[in-house]
Amino acid sequence: MLRRWLPWIVLAVLVVGALAYSAWPRSGDESVAAHTRRIASDLRCIDCESLSVADSATSSARATRADIAVRIRHGESDAEIRQVYVDRYGESVLLKPSSNGLGILVWALPIAALLIGAGGIVLALRRWQRQPRLVASTADEELVAEERARS
Amino acid sequence: MKHPFRWVALAVGAAVCALAVVLALTVSSDPHAEANTSRLVGKQMPKFTVEGLDGKPITSESLAGRTLVVNFWNSWCIPCRQEHDALTSWYAQHHDDPSIAMLGIVREDTKAAIRSYVKDQNVTWPVAFDPGAKAALDFGTRGQPETYAIGPDGVVVASKFGPVTPAVLDQMVAYAQGTN
Repeated sequence: MLRRWLPWIVLAVLVVGALAYSAWPRSGDESVAAHTRRIASDLRCIDCESLSVADSATSSARATRADIAVRIRHGESDAEIRQVYVDRYGESVLLKPSSNGLGILVWALPIAALLIGAGGIVLALRRWQRQPRLVASTADEELVAEERARS
Repeated sequence: MKHPFRWVALAVGAAVCALAVVLALTVSSDPHAEANTSRLVGKQMPKFTVEGLDGKPITSESLAGRTLVVNFWNSWCIPCRQEHDALTSWYAQHHDDPSIAMLGIVREDTKAAIRSYVKDQNVTWPVAFDPGAKAALDFGTRGQPETYAIGPDGVVVASKFGPVTPAVLDQMVAYAQGTN
């Protein structure tokens, strides 16, 4: 019994471990430069196409990075800093949709669709397993035997 | 659960409906509306210190109490050049009015290019550099030209992204002065 389930248990442990590792907050001091880059990566460069503030070389992007660094030094949280830019430019300044309000649907719907789809597949498999397989009757076997004898 | 497939189908239907609602809400709002309107309108003007062509600082405090027109511009942007005549004629009509001030703040340009442009095009209104693009950032500018009308109380009452005309400037200033 255990032998049968062992690979699944190992797989489940690996998946849960990987998810926990990626979601776990990193310990240790993050430098202001690294912290600035992390926040700037989530903000859209206002006067350039499809670039983050972290990746843009425009003076407005440089000014934004400098402003973020000042705010970090002043002890403002990531959420507070992002909110300053949302207040200034609107939600469209965020490269990642926010995880509240309507924005949560962007995150939740694919997961919900995945779970519903997986549930449907599991149900379908179980139903197919329960269905009796076709069993050849004596008449069927005789018919096959006749055909074989003829050929 | 007697009919599990019905429940799955119901859940899928509910998810599709939720997605449709989100799409409808997104489509029904103008995606460009946010990009055409400054979120600063109705709020207090951000404090700023910019550097005049003579190197002296110009502060928001020094302009307080007057109706202020702030124009973000630079020498290389075509729309900025297109609105140059409008700004020139409008400023010629209002530069004697002590209750009105106009300031051109440079966005994304070099000092040499601006000095040359100001001289060649005979720019008569005060022009200032924006060290570190701090003022442009605090105003939430998205490009240039952008023009803001600020009332004597320091509240931003109107904004225009793109070239202005004298009529638009008159309207913006009328809003700022409370005469419209």
